[in-house]
Amino acid sequence: MPQFPNRIHQLPDHLANQIAAGEVVERPSSVVKELLENALDAGARQIEVDIEQGGVKLIRVRDDGCGIIKDDMPLALSRHATSKITQVEDLERVSTLGFRGEALPSIGSVSRLTLSSRTESDERGWRVQIEGSVPSTLEPQPHARGTTVEVRDLFYNTPARRKFLRAEKTEFNHVEEVVKRIALSRFDTAVRLQHNQKPVYALHPAGDLKQMEKRVADVCGAAFVEHALRIDFEATGLKLSGWIAQPTFSRSQADLQYFYVNGRMVRDKLVSHAVRQAYRDVLFHDRHPAFVLYFELDPALVDVNAHPTKHEVRFRESRMVHDFLFRALHNVLARTRPGSTPNPVAVSDIVIPTAANAAPEQQSTFVYSSPPSGAPAQVRENMASYASMFSAAQPAAELPRTSESPPLGYALAQLHGIFILAENANGLVLVDMHAAHERVTYERMKQAHAGEGIVSQPLLVPVTVRVSEREAALADEQRDLLRAAGIEVDRIGPETMVIRQLPALLRDADAEKLLRDVLSDLVVHGTSSRVMDQLNELFATMACHGSVRANRRLTLPEMNALLRDMEATERADQCNHGRPTWIQLGLGELDKLFLRGQ
Amino acid sequence: MKLNTSRETLLKPLQTVAGVVERRQTLPILSNVLIAVSGGHLNMTATDLEVELIARTPVEGATDGETTVSARKLMDICRALPEGAAVEISESKGKLAVKSGRSRFSLSTLPVGDFPLVPKIEGATQFSAAAAQFRNTLARTQFAMAQQDVRYYLNGLLFEITSNQLRTVATDGHRLSLCDCPIEGKIAKPVQAIVPRKGILELQRLLGDGDERVAVTLSDNHIRIELGEAVFTSKLIDGKFPDYERVIPQGNMKRLVGDRETLRQALHRTSILSNEKYRGIRLKLGNGTITAIANNPELEEAEETVEVDFTGEAMEIGFNVNYVLDVLAVLTSQEVEMMFIDSNSSCLIQPRGEKDSRHVVMPMRL
Ligand SMILES: Nc1ncnc2c1ncn2[C@@H]1O[C@H](COP(=O)(O)OP(=O)(O)OP(=O)(O)O)[C@@H](O)[C@H]1O
Ligand SMILES: [Mg+2]
Repeated sequence: MPQFPNRIHQLPDHLANQIAAGEVVERPSSVVKELLENALDAGARQIEVDIEQGGVKLIRVRDDGCGIIKDDMPLALSRHATSKITQVEDLERVSTLGFRGEALPSIGSVSRLTLSSRTESDERGWRVQIEGSVPSTLEPQPHARGTTVEVRDLFYNTPARRKFLRAEKTEFNHVEEVVKRIALSRFDTAVRLQHNQKPVYALHPAGDLKQMEKRVADVCGAAFVEHALRIDFEATGLKLSGWIAQPTFSRSQADLQYFYVNGRMVRDKLVSHAVRQAYRDVLFHDRHPAFVLYFELDPALVDVNAHPTKHEVRFRESRMVHDFLFRALHNVLARTRPGSTPNPVAVSDIVIPTAANAAPEQQSTFVYSSPPSGAPAQVRENMASYASMFSAAQPAAELPRTSESPPLGYALAQLHGIFILAENANGLVLVDMHAAHERVTYERMKQAHAGEGIVSQPLLVPVTVRVSEREAALADEQRDLLRAAGIEVDRIGPETMVIRQLPALLRDADAEKLLRDVLSDLVVHGTSSRVMDQLNELFATMACHGSVRANRRLTLPEMNALLRDMEATERADQCNHGRPTWIQLGLGELDKLFLRGQ
Repeated sequence: MKLNTSRETLLKPLQTVAGVVERRQTLPILSNVLIAVSGGHLNMTATDLEVELIARTPVEGATDGETTVSARKLMDICRALPEGAAVEISESKGKLAVKSGRSRFSLSTLPVGDFPLVPKIEGATQFSAAAAQFRNTLARTQFAMAQQDVRYYLNGLLFEITSNQLRTVATDGHRLSLCDCPIEGKIAKPVQAIVPRKGILELQRLLGDGDERVAVTLSDNHIRIELGEAVFTSKLIDGKFPDYERVIPQGNMKRLVGDRETLRQALHRTSILSNEKYRGIRLKLGNGTITAIANNPELEEAEETVEVDFTGEAMEIGFNVNYVLDVLAVLTSQEVEMMFIDSNSSCLIQPRGEKDSRHVVMPMRL
């Protein structure tokens, strides 16, 4: 503590801008994000991004948007100057990506920035530069309609920041990610990206669904689109569209998750929670779903001014939004059953080398994988396993075929008491019998329970729970919601609740923990599905115990019955734990395995 | 240590104590049985650190000594020997030799000093009871104990000892059972103790159907029960049992009296079509009858009417049928009384004409 107070003084503009830059400009990719957003706000149909040395040396973004009026150009570079909002009411319904008037001055304060632009009505283009904080005078600059912003030597005057920059490749990866996000946000805009003069992306404007899927494939990989379910859902003024991957196409990291709120990419807790919940019993544990989703709603219902980088938003009706998102996704995921979705696992995703993905040498390693020295013993072993395979497999019986064969076709045989082999129009189908039956049983239990409603069991010895005053008040307030979930509580003190009643099926659950979890859900998400979650878990366990085990010999009619059940069961493409229940080996793939037709 | 005896002399105490030996052990010594020969007696001890069992058998011409070997292996060996076979066991150099006929076994041992024994029980309350009555009081209450409840004090049976009676109480939070048993002994002041579930189940097995008396010793942390040749010791659960008196409904209630076995069979038949998971059943009480109705998610239905003594106002109430069946199954009286307040309040079930056991069951909202 200083003995005498220092005098207070106004910060010089330059310093103020650098401080603001601290929040807005973290690394080259943040500059790219701001510039791309400006281009989109200007109505650009074509954007070109040039990067050199990961963006540290040069970032140039050129667009064919509306341009900036000559006299406004110096203003564009000064703080709190924007064309996008004028009064406080505008802040309540922002429909542009920018609105703070902070990006250009912040960037300008930590780099050498040149802004060139021309509007439709100007005869010529103009250029203004900024280095430090003062804009230079305007000079003529030939330019087509639109704007170019060139940012050189980022952080040249803030060595502390510069130290935190990573390798060129890492920085460029971040830039690329930003470009991907923007490219997925506006299909009608062409986007080109070059790094060190080499083209990375050249994305054409996409008009119809097919072209849009082409762009998604270019950005997210073809496999994502192949395994994606299209979603288009609208209700009560909310709209969700886009693509979500089949649960069996999950990722080990949350790196393929694009969620746009009115065209703005966000990472939002409420959204991830709703997504998680929708994927709950179809996703393998520790895996992450993949999606590209567009959520549209009245701009007045969402506050975008919640975070300096605008990555987070606040929904005014959080519970409604959560329910809507959950319902929309849940409905689509229910379609994951044989016949109504792409194949859950394509054999090309797995290990089998084909002419297309393996060089000839690699193929021979595959075929002759056993070491020659152990050959004699090996052969005998292989023969033995063949023998057991054939004895386990049941003879195929000729079945009466209807004119149209069902999606999973008809069973041929059972393999090692674990798999069902079936034949359908495309070729061979392999079914994991236990996994498939488990899902069928589980869905049946959930349905039966939904028909009956929650039966509750009052407690002879009520359970006393200590909670915070806030939680107690909430429990008081949400009494109806709790009762609908089969829980009845009373407040018997400012911080004490008693649980008087629980769902009959959860009578042996840890009541105190259940209540606490439900309350904390209510605090965070405005809603709770704990009770349903726990019931579903219980059903899942029961389904697991109640399903055919490996080595149960099934007759052909039994196997066919299971195939028909799978086709009729929602989410039957994966078991309760998210493992695939069946795969298709198409005739084409079989041909490739045997090098036929090559 | 050396002992010449018969297969049966070894097998019987082994079977008595082997129940407490956990199959999966992380502590090797706990899968062993402690064998001690002294003063013409063979003592076998097994423990899981919560419950300890000792079985005593007189033996002749033995050399004193003690050791520990795998309980399961020794028992399997004895079982596999022909009936009535003579067996010699002797210990030397860390091995236990078992010989019978032309069979030879050498079992590895673990040091006796490592075997955890319950220390002497002190500051104790002591009493005795007739084995038959003691067994009865356990049987009538133990089924209501909780299993793995987070309220750990419910995972056991409450022993409440007053000057001339032992009362046992069990509740899992949904139903409660209590039963009284006369005792003899000097009880200075009333005592409460909770015996863990596993101990109670083991004790029930041990009690068999003998006719002697059991001697009970209670300290702050342990209960010890001696019956004939076996000594049972268990740790107590350190916790406060709920105030059970408050849970037993009282006052003006509607009374139903019926034949216990007839009611039990009717409920049992009806329950076949109740929901497998929560076993809901509806009871309709009318003038002189009770009707049980069950249905399940497959929309199947069962219904049965039984004639009873009932004159109150008609009412309907739902239960987890297992809770009611459990009670009807352990009672022995010809008739039972069921007392109701209304369809939201707990129901009291007791044997007619006997006052020593009472059972409370909470209804279910169907
Ligand atoms: N590419 C462009 N085309 C046309 N006008 C632009 C372009 N870039 C910037 N502008 C103009 O310059 C102004 C300032 O841009 P800047 O990015 O600093 O602020 P903003 O976009 O209004 O708000 P934010 O700080 O939230 O991005 C904008 O309001 C806009 O009028
Ligand atoms: Mg901007």
